[in-house]
Order: sequence, then structure tokens, then C-alpha cells
Amino acid sequence: MTFRRKLLAVVALTVSISVATIAWVVSDVARRAFDRAGEERTAALVAQFQREFHRRGEDVVRRVEAIAASDDTTRMALAVGRGSPDYGAYFNLAKSLGESQQLDFVELVDGQGTIISSAQWPAKFGYKENSFAGGPPALAKDAFLKREELPDGVALGLCALRVLSLGDKPLYVIGGRKLDRDFLATLDLPAGMRAVLYENLGPGFSPQLLIDASGNISQPDKLAPIVQQVQQSGNEASVTVHWSSNPRDDEIFQAIPLQGGNSQLLGILLVGSSRRDYVEVNQRIRSAALLIGGAGILLSILLSAWAATRVIRPVENLAAAAKEVGAGNLRVEVPVNSADELGQLAEAFNQMTRELLEQKERLVQTERVAAWRELARRLAHELKNPLFPLQLTVENLIRAHRQSPEQFDDVLQESSSTLLAEIANLKKIISRFSEFSAMPQPHFQRVQINEVVAGTERLFQAQLRSSEKTNITCQLDLDPRADFMAADPELLHRAITNLVLNAIDAMPQGGTLTIRTREEKNRVHVEISDTGTGLQPEECERLFTPYYTNKQQGTGLGLAIVQSIVTDHGGSINVRSAPGRGTTFHIELPRNLDKLTTPGQQDSRHVKESTVAAKSTSTDRG
Amino acid sequence: MRRSGWPLLVVISVVLAHAASAATRPQYGGTLRVATHIAPVSLDPADTSQSDSIARRNLLSLLYDTLVVMDNAGRIQPALASSWQVESTNQRWQFFLRKDVEFQDSSPLRADAIAASLRSNNPGWTIYPTGNSVVIECRTPEPNLPAELALSRNAIAKRTPMGTIFGTGPFQVAEWQPGKKLTLTAQEGYWGGRPFVDSIVIELGKSSRDQMIALDLGKADVVEVGPEAARRFAMQSRNVASSAPAELIALVFTRSAESADQARLREALALSIDRATIRNVLFQGQGDIAGGILPEWMSGYEFVFPGDRDLQRALQIRGDLRQASAWSVGYDPADPLARLVAERISLNARDAGLMLQPTGSPNADMRVARAALPTTDPRLALESVATGLGLTQPASSGNSAEDLFKAESVLLQTKQTIPLLHVPSAVYATSPVVKSFVLDRDGAWHVSDVWLGTAP
Repeated sequence: MTFRRKLLAVVALTVSISVATIAWVVSDVARRAFDRAGEERTAALVAQFQREFHRRGEDVVRRVEAIAASDDTTRMALAVGRGSPDYGAYFNLAKSLGESQQLDFVELVDGQGTIISSAQWPAKFGYKENSFAGGPPALAKDAFLKREELPDGVALGLCALRVLSLGDKPLYVIGGRKLDRDFLATLDLPAGMRAVLYENLGPGFSPQLLIDASGNISQPDKLAPIVQQVQQSGNEASVTVHWSSNPRDDEIFQAIPLQGGNSQLLGILLVGSSRRDYVEVNQRIRSAALLIGGAGILLSILLSAWAATRVIRPVENLAAAAKEVGAGNLRVEVPVNSADELGQLAEAFNQMTRELLEQKERLVQTERVAAWRELARRLAHELKNPLFPLQLTVENLIRAHRQSPEQFDDVLQESSSTLLAEIANLKKIISRFSEFSAMPQPHFQRVQINEVVAGTERLFQAQLRSSEKTNITCQLDLDPRADFMAADPELLHRAITNLVLNAIDAMPQGGTLTIRTREEKNRVHVEISDTGTGLQPEECERLFTPYYTNKQQGTGLGLAIVQSIVTDHGGSINVRSAPGRGTTFHIELPRNLDKLTTPGQQDSRHVKESTVAAKSTSTDRG
Repeated sequence: MRRSGWPLLVVISVVLAHAASAATRPQYGGTLRVATHIAPVSLDPADTSQSDSIARRNLLSLLYDTLVVMDNAGRIQPALASSWQVESTNQRWQFFLRKDVEFQDSSPLRADAIAASLRSNNPGWTIYPTGNSVVIECRTPEPNLPAELALSRNAIAKRTPMGTIFGTGPFQVAEWQPGKKLTLTAQEGYWGGRPFVDSIVIELGKSSRDQMIALDLGKADVVEVGPEAARRFAMQSRNVASSAPAELIALVFTRSAESADQARLREALALSIDRATIRNVLFQGQGDIAGGILPEWMSGYEFVFPGDRDLQRALQIRGDLRQASAWSVGYDPADPLARLVAERISLNARDAGLMLQPTGSPNADMRVARAALPTTDPRLALESVATGLGLTQPASSGNSAEDLFKAESVLLQTKQTIPLLHVPSAVYATSPVVKSFVLDRDGAWHVSDVWLGTAP
């Protein structure tokens, strides 16, 4: 994965997570806020309902007081005060009073609790009013709930009680309104709110006793738990009812216990508040949050891509430039498009390459000068050695011609030999330099490296046996996998020969010369190791420098030639050595099969194998 | 001075006396406006599809006559038949017709028309004209045949092939809107004398409330009121005419008592009912407590049947029985008084440990029923009430009061009915201009005698 993609992924992921988190937090905060608002709204609606309920109670009280203050009631009170009233005379009075005051329940009761006239159950005259079973009830200022017996059952009423005492015997006026669907329908409720009444006429939950303004409600069992909870606890309770799978149909119900005068639970008022508006707003907020979050994430990805491109481009330019520099091209320059850290980095990079280029040029110049100086020194040194005998020989001739003319011929004869020998030596020196400067390009052909190594070893085995260096043992360790490769056999033989000669020179006291080949990762490795005196680290660093030598008679070109040959074959050479622990030269060569000029050279195993073993090469030990 | 004053005094006295006599003397003319709750769609007296009621009978009496009529004492009086004779077996009756009687189409009343009219409603009789008389032969002795003929369903009507019906009554139809309005004009040549009023406009299908409003607004002269309202009207000094307690209000069980326990429970229920309170309060003192089916004024023996409340006895009976199932007591939803009676009875029954649930459903175990006595003839009335209440017909071996008593006793011992009250079958309130508006004991009116005066 590229740095650009990594950066894009990191930035996009970070931004996406941030946006998603913010969207979730906003949605959650909004949801909580709406939850609180919904609860507050429900509480406000319930309070409003209770006020409305209380207002209805006050209205009932006013109407009952109006009945108590009416002339007809006064006349009845007077009749009651005088004795037993004529029920027939007042039979329809309660009903007419109830109709005039729009009350469902009106009962006129004497001090013993006997009903004189009843609007809700006219035939009940002469019977006892239930609430007088334990004596006259306490007079309540406000309206109260009362369970009213009717011919066809029992009903709840919001009632008020007033007493009229015009004589010794009081007359009680009990009036009220029936808590039924009509009562619920007349309640002035806000939109989205409804009132459901449960008439608690017996233990447990009975769906038929649950009514709202439109009649019996559907799915009454959904409200059974909260009804039973209030029945058991006698306290208010709240529940959210899910009428269907659509959350818009949900309703929050606040259950309010309705208690009678003796704290008996007579009914339960369920104030329902629709959650439709809340759910719709919440869903809109959630949708908006999702939309904004999605758009934010998409935008963040696009911006991240743009930003990554913008940020990465200088880095990519730097990477490409660094790669160029690594390849040796110091003339690369990174464009500087900003003044930020990346711009400063680019500027620094450019400064670095400029300085490296200048240093390289100075180094090349210095090396060139040093090489010329070394060459001059070597040339002077090499040339000075033969020139000095030449000078002595010529001076000796001159002296012999002046001092001993008789011996001049002999001297001349002898001096001429010397002069010729030294001149030949000069020519040889010049020839070597000429040869180094004219290193040929390798001519690749199919080569068996083990054969080349073995040929070289055979060449030197004869030399080692015939010389005084018989205490040097030569060992071969050839890897059969390191077989065919493309190389110039003559140059390869020359390089190996140079390294073998160096190894022999490094073991004046004898030792072991080991030559190994091996194949690894489709590359051929050749190692020439000796057990000689070894090299100092600083010597190792300068070992392949042309004209560097630590020998008295060396030109310093041998290892330089080896390195040149290896490099021309696309390989590399290095040295491992330590004082007293011998030296190992390691050559790594590619197979270079693609360098073969014709397919026949690549495929045929019957190519001409270079025979180098019999070829004697005069190699200077550099 | 002294001599000159006497003539003036005499003149003034004569004028005042004349004025006073003019105010009380019947006057001809005017239109009597009547409102009623019934809404008949047919004026045929033989149409049995129309429900029978005192209001319908009174309506038909304006158009049709019967051969005989019943007076308030339950005696047969001549009408279209001026006389009659019966053979000893009570199976052959011969009625001699009144002369110079015409139908409303001015055709004379003949024996064949009467025979044709009676045949249509009495297929069991053999009826044929004989000169100026009509002979009715019965398969069985019919000592009460004249009372039967006095019923409005046996009113004499002439039916034309065009479907028009004519009677011999004091009025004839001027305009007829079935179920809505009936306008009648006085029959000038009525055999009983021309009615005082020139015409009658009868608004049909009017509710009690609308009738009262019409009366209060002066848009009606005669309206129907319930018996329970008679007291209130009387207290308001309104003119009220009421019949005798000729309507029975009773509890009628749907089924006969299936066991002795059932019969005893029904007896306990009958004993628990406080009829006096129902009468005094619900019916505002109108009517009489009923222990029997026929009222005391009709039978003379009704006091024998107890009608007082005996709660102790009811509790004792109830206590003797192990259990009692709850009853439902039905009432006519259109009859608020019946509902009140049902509710009161339920309360009374609760005192005796019996459970009754009032209901407007027709499928109740018992119902509060009304049965108007169609005639002042006790035997015929008993049979009619038994039919109206769905009871078995009383078996009578004779026509004496003792036979009647036995028949009624047998009916009551079935425990299928519990008589409650006898209340007036008809109560009318009239405006002050209506004069001589009286009702017979059975509620029959005599509008031909009514005249319109001035308001006091």
C-alpha cells in the first residue's frame, strides 16, 4: 500500500469516525432532548387535563349549588322540614333540576339518607342513598368521585354535595356528571391527546370497562398492565403503548387513579399523548444526521484524497528525486511549491543534491588530480629506477672514455648491455600502463565457471610444485549448481589469476589457497581465500584503488583490473580480511544469459568451452 | 223615582240571565283540533293489522256506529239497532234496525249492508238480513253477543268496489293523510243529531311533548295525556277528562311456572311489590291497586284478590327456597312509565332477596304490560285482557258473576301474570273553549256532544 493510500485511509477513517461520532452524538442529544421535551409535554398535558378535570368539578359544584338555591329545592326543603314529604309531588323534580343544570345525576336526599327524588334512577325514591350508609357524608367543598348505582349497572360520577337546612331536617342535594364517553368527548384536550377511562368496578382488568370518547377502545389489553399496576399501587403510573409496529402510533399513557371519598379506587384515568409528532421529528433529525453524516464522510473522503494528493505530491517528488540520487543522478531538483515543512524539506533536498553534486565534482576533480599525481609519482618512480642505471652507465662510459680509453670497448660492451636491459625495462613499464588503459570490453559467451576455476587451479598447481612455494596447498570447492553462465572466459580467467597470485603472494610462509564457487539466487559466487597475513581495514578500503599497492614491486593495477572486469560483467567484488586471519575476495556475478548474442548460444550446451587452463598469462600482482 | 227603577232592574236582570244562559248553552260551529299519538294508515274498523287502543276506538267512533253500545253501567243500549231479541239458547239473535239512517254517501242503511259489514269480521257467525232486521246465528250460545257487537271492530261500514269506506257516524272524512292528518266534517243528517262542531282536525302521530306544546300554544283543543299527568294538570287548573281505571298494568311472565318453586317465587315477587307507592308516586295517585285482572268497578269482587305488599311473607317464601335465578323484566322502550314501573319493581324485589334486571329487550323473562279493557262488559273484558296479555283464555261455564270470578281466579292461579294497577285508559286535556268533553268509564268519548265556547 502506498503512502498516499495509507494517508488517504487514515485521514478518511479519522474524519469518517469523527463525523459519525458527531452525527451519533447530535442524534443522541437530540433524542434525549426530545425525550425530555416529550415528557415535559406529557406532564404539561396531564396538568392541563387535571386543570380541565378540576374545572369540570368546579362547574359541577356551581350547578349543584344552583340547584340547592333554586325555588323548587327550597320548597322541597321546607316540606322536608315539616315532615315526611310527598314523594309523588317531587317525583320528577330531580330530573327537571338535572335537565335544567345539565347534570346527569341529581338526587335529593333527606337527613336519614332517604332519596326523595332521583334523576338518574327515578324509581329509587324512598330508598336509602348508598353514601349515607354510615350517616350523612362529610360536606366537601370540591367535587368528588362517586360510584352511582343505576338501574342498568354502576357508573362513575364527578359529583358535588350541598346541604339545605331550612328547618330541623336538612335536605341534601347530590349532583354530578357521569364519567362516560360523552364526558370524555366534552373535555377540551389539546391535539394529539385523548382521555381513556377505566371504571374500576371490580378486581382485575376487564376490557369492557375501558372507554374513551369514541366508545370502547381497540386492543384494550395493551393497557391492562398499567391499569393493574395502578390497581395494586394506587399511585400514578406511566407507560408507552405500542399499538402497532409503526412507532408513529405509539402513545404515552399517564394513569391517574381516581379515588372516592373513602380513598377507594373508583376509576383510573388514562391520559394518552400521541408520540407521532415526536417520532416524526426524531426520524427527520435522524435522517438529517445520517444524510449530513454520510455527506460529511463522502466529502471528507474527497477532501482527504485531495489533501493527500496535495500533501503527498511533494513527498513523491522527494522520493523520486531520492531514487534518482540513489541511482547516481545528482542533477535532479525537486520543485518547491510551498513554504511549509515539505517546502523546506524540498529546499533542503535540493540544497543537499547541489552540495552533493559540488562535492562529487570536487571529489572527482580531487581524485583526478590525485590520480594524475599518483600516476606521475608512479611513472616517475618506475621511470626513475631504470633511468638511474642508465645515467650511471652513461657516466661510466664517459669516465671510461676519458680515463681509460683502452678499456672503453669493454666498458662500452658491458654498458650497452646494461643500457639495453634498462631500456627494455622502460618499454615494459610503458606497456603495462598502456595495457591498463586499454582494457577490452567483455565478449560474452557460454562459460562453465567451474571449468574456468579448475583450469586456473591446474595452471598454478604446476607452478606451485615447480617453485620454492611448495608449502602452499590449493583446495577447490566447486558447486555443481554454479554451472553455465555468460561471461568473457579470458577476462574471467585473468581476474581469477590475479586474485590467486595475490593470495600466493600473501602467503610467503605457506598456507592454504581455497577457491570456492556456489550458486545462490541465480547468481554465481566465487571466493578466493588465503590464510596469509591479512590486511588492515584501511588497506581493505583502498585495495581496489588504481595504482595502490602495498608491495615493493607492484604497480597497483592488479586488483583495479579485477574490479574493472567484475564490474564489466555486472557483478561486484568485495574483500573480507583481518590481520593474521587471511583474506577472502568474494566475487558475485549475474548469470548474464540474456547477454548471449544468439539463441544458440543461450540454449545449446555444446558451445565452445573456453580453454584457459593451457594459456599462460603473465599477470602482474598488483 | 222608586217606580222608575224597577223596570231597569228587571231589564238588567233579564240581560244578565240571557248572557249567562248563552255562556252555558251549547253552540254549533267551530273546528275542534285534536292531537293524538296514534298514526293509523287505515280507517277500516275491520282492519286488524292496526293496533287496537282506546285512541283508535275513539277515532273510529267519529266515523262509524255499531248496532248497540255499552253504557257506563255495562248495559246494552240501542244504536243502529233500535231493538233486538234472542232465542232461549242464546244462539240466534235478531236486531231490528233504526229507520232513516244513512251512510255518509247518503245511501240508506239497509240490513244487507249491515250483514255484509258484520260478515267480514265474524266468519264464525251466520248473518243474514231479514226485512228491516239482521239475524245472527251462532254455533254456540253467545249470551254476550250484543257486547261483542258493541266493540268498535264490529262497527258498521260500507265498502265500495273502489275501496272507499263509508260509515254512519256523526262525521265524515273531508281530508285524509294516512298517519299524519285527518279532517272530518259534521254529518248534517246524523241520526243521533248533528254534532255541535262543524269539523274536526286530528293531527296524528304527535308525541306527548308535541301535544302539550300544541295545547299550551293554543294549536290544539284536545290532547292525550298520561294518567300520571292528570294530577299535575288538575293542579294547574286545566280541564282534564279521565276514564275509569280501565287499563290493567301487570307483570306477565313469558312462560308458565314450570315448578312449584317457580310459582312460589312468583308469589314472593307479587307480595314484594309496593303497588301503593307505584300508584301514588309513579302514577301520581291515579288508578287503583290491582289484585285482580278486572277492576273492582267492573267485577265487584276484585277486593278478594290481595294487592297489598307483604314483605315479610315474601321474605319468608324466599327464605324457604334454596336459590332463585335472576330475572329480567322487560318494558316497552317507548313507554317511560312502564320502565319506571319495571325499575321500581326491581327495587321492591331486591328487598325480598329477588334479583330483577330491567331491560328494554323483548326477550325478557317477564314484561310490564298494559291491557286496556275494550268494553264495560266484564266477561268480554276478561277475555280481551287475557288475549292481550297472552294468557290462556278463561274457561267460563256460565255468565254469572260467580262464573266470572272462578274464571279470573283460575287465570291468576297460573301465576303467569301479576296484576299491578288499574289506571285510566284514557285521559284527555282540553283547552278552556272545549265544552261538554266527557268520557265513558271505558274511555270512549262523545265528540258529537262537544261544543266550542269561549275562554273564561
